[in-house]
Amino acid sequence: MVPCIQARDISLTFKPKNRDSVTALKELTLDVAKGEFVSLVGPSGCGKSTFLNVLLGLLKPDGGEIRLNGKQITGPGQERAMVFQEFGLLPWRTVLANVELGLELKGVQALVRRERAMELIKMAGLAGFASHYPHELSGGMKQRVGLARALVTDPEVLLMDEPFAALDAQTRDLMQMELLQIWDRTKKTVVFVTHSIEEAAYLSDRVIVISARPGRAKDVMKIALPRPRDYEMRLSAEFNDIKARIWASLKEELVTK
Amino acid sequence: MTGLANFYREKEAYLLGIGFIVFLLALWQCVPLLITLPRGYALFFTTPSRIAATFYRLLVEGQIQEHFYVSVAAFLSGLGIAIAVGLPFGIVMGRSRTLDALSDPYVTALNATPRLVWLPLFILWFGIGIWSKVMIVFVGAVFPLLINTYAGVKNVDRVLVNVVRSFGANEWQVMKVVVLPNSLPYIIVGLRLAIGRAILGVVVGEFFGSSKGLGFMIASAASNYKVDVVFAGVAIFMGLSLILTLSVKKLENSLARWRPETAKTF
Amino acid sequence: MGLKEEYHEYHRPILGMASVIGLILLWELTLTYLIPVDPFFFTKPSLIGTAFREQLFGERLWRDLAISSRAFIWGFSLSVIVGIPLGAVMGWRRRVEYTLDPLLTALYASPLVALAPLLIIFFGVGLLGKAVLVFLLAVFPFIFNTSAGVKAADPLLINVVRSFGGKELDLYLKVILPSTFPYIVAGARLAIGRGLVGIIVGEFYAASEGIGFAIQNYGDTYRLPDMFVGIIVLSAIAVALTELLRKAELMVAPWRAGEEIR
Repeated sequence: MVPCIQARDISLTFKPKNRDSVTALKELTLDVAKGEFVSLVGPSGCGKSTFLNVLLGLLKPDGGEIRLNGKQITGPGQERAMVFQEFGLLPWRTVLANVELGLELKGVQALVRRERAMELIKMAGLAGFASHYPHELSGGMKQRVGLARALVTDPEVLLMDEPFAALDAQTRDLMQMELLQIWDRTKKTVVFVTHSIEEAAYLSDRVIVISARPGRAKDVMKIALPRPRDYEMRLSAEFNDIKARIWASLKEELVTK
Repeated sequence: MTGLANFYREKEAYLLGIGFIVFLLALWQCVPLLITLPRGYALFFTTPSRIAATFYRLLVEGQIQEHFYVSVAAFLSGLGIAIAVGLPFGIVMGRSRTLDALSDPYVTALNATPRLVWLPLFILWFGIGIWSKVMIVFVGAVFPLLINTYAGVKNVDRVLVNVVRSFGANEWQVMKVVVLPNSLPYIIVGLRLAIGRAILGVVVGEFFGSSKGLGFMIASAASNYKVDVVFAGVAIFMGLSLILTLSVKKLENSLARWRPETAKTF
Repeated sequence: MGLKEEYHEYHRPILGMASVIGLILLWELTLTYLIPVDPFFFTKPSLIGTAFREQLFGERLWRDLAISSRAFIWGFSLSVIVGIPLGAVMGWRRRVEYTLDPLLTALYASPLVALAPLLIIFFGVGLLGKAVLVFLLAVFPFIFNTSAGVKAADPLLINVVRSFGGKELDLYLKVILPSTFPYIVAGARLAIGRGLVGIIVGEFYAASEGIGFAIQNYGDTYRLPDMFVGIIVLSAIAVALTELLRKAELMVAPWRAGEEIR
């Protein structure tokens, strides 16, 4: 069976004006199966967010192939949606208008998209806040809007770029649990970028360690914990082992380069 | 007693401000009662009550209306053209780095130069009819609009553009959904500044080489030592300017509903 | 750096210069070869250049500039001396602000230039009338900007100086004035523009000397190249002053100086 996402030897170099060029990715190869939850961890600047943008279709790799269900990715598309670290909500739109954005851009009719958006707003636990503006919401709520917005077009793949990094620890834990619930219900394929080993281990089926810049897939670790995962699992010895393994691989990338 | 004290505390700012203005007007009114001015100065002196009376007389005699309409026509035409030119140019310059670099010297130079230097040239080209006024209003008003629109477009948050792009929006949709709404507050500030400049343009444009308009009325009254008429004219412009500026400020504030910080008047 | 990188680094000034040179060339060539020009309504760069050279070595231009500058400097200095302290007091004492703000805002929003004919007639066509006009126009940015600058002073720093026993004057000099500095520079930039308008209008209205008068006079006598020289000289001075202040703002200001206050 063709894996949902296939990346082969992806290379990408940034050439900014007035500065030296930066090779963000070098021959990165990885696969993601359909319905899988995969996390990418790696040191700062290793290119994980860059790779996510390649998957999204906003960046074109200089070399290598990237495929979704066998077809090459050439640009953004309805089957992929991203949740951003800085939330990226349009501040002049209400929560409802923000969530509707994807459908609006596709030309879906107003009544239809409102209904769908309200469904997702309810699922994200924001019922009653549809007419609020982003600046009236807390960080956790803003990210729920981001999540609802990403799901409104019913994409196959959810790309999440450190979505909880800007939240406080408690909200973060809460959002992680809710994310798992939503994922369980909607069965999306998720590619999740994070700095937090704990978060990666808790959420994913597999964790991929990306090497320091230029980034390539260094290690792939299967997380053999049962689902559904509850918070207590994080306190188990097994969990610590998993974290230790990931850390051991990651540590090398942090120290030397 | 506490009722009054509370009232004062709440409205202190208004009371002090308006009170001061009233006080000054009263003082002004009383000057001729307090001192006698030497002949030379008395010619130039007038009081608020005389100004008001003159204003009323001009209104009733129908002298002011025609001047008023002429000035307003020049103002609106010039401002309209400035909006029609300034906004698109500002957007295009904001989006295209090449165009921005190409037009930068002109915008900088023209913006720094007092626009009124062009008045003799405009009078030469367009005569003393309404068109030279329209042009000077246009030239004065277009720059705040252009520059502020440009700033609004340039200032757009990259993350938001990426968000919208990630849903597959094309350039046009990016413009409509992100760039323009983001620029709107800047444009409104630009409009407020443009209004001030436009009024300036009308006033000075009508001082010279004109036979109609409030500015002309003021200038010819001044040379005939009709100080009342001068102040009446100035008061009209003042009133116009205040009303327009306050309206735009209200617009600014209503748009600020979605902004946690409103002080973008920098 | 290779040629391509050099272009990227300096592409703004390069394109800017190319644009100006291109326009001048286009203008000159069009009016020389393509369209016959009526000298009463149009002129071209070569003629302007000749006039420029003549004026540069003549005396009239310099005398005009000297006269205009004197009036401008007097008026501008007065607006600094009056505007900054007044703005400082307004920013520092809330009640003073409440009292003065509506009046000043109303005046600022009105076209005070409309009083120019009256002022010139009253004070005469010489230095005094123009200086008063410049003062009236230039004082407001100083007042409002200084006031905003004072209000923006960090209360923490004020407490620090107080805790070391600083008196009110110390607070003014050691904390408030320095933090106000960027705002004042921004205000100066705005004031220059408004002051120049005062000089121009004053000289248009009734003067026999000065750069504003010269421009209008050349216009009246259909001497277009000379008129353009005047406009360009004035423009160059205005740009130089404004850009100088902009650079000063960037050096002194932590935030990027941009649009106008109010």
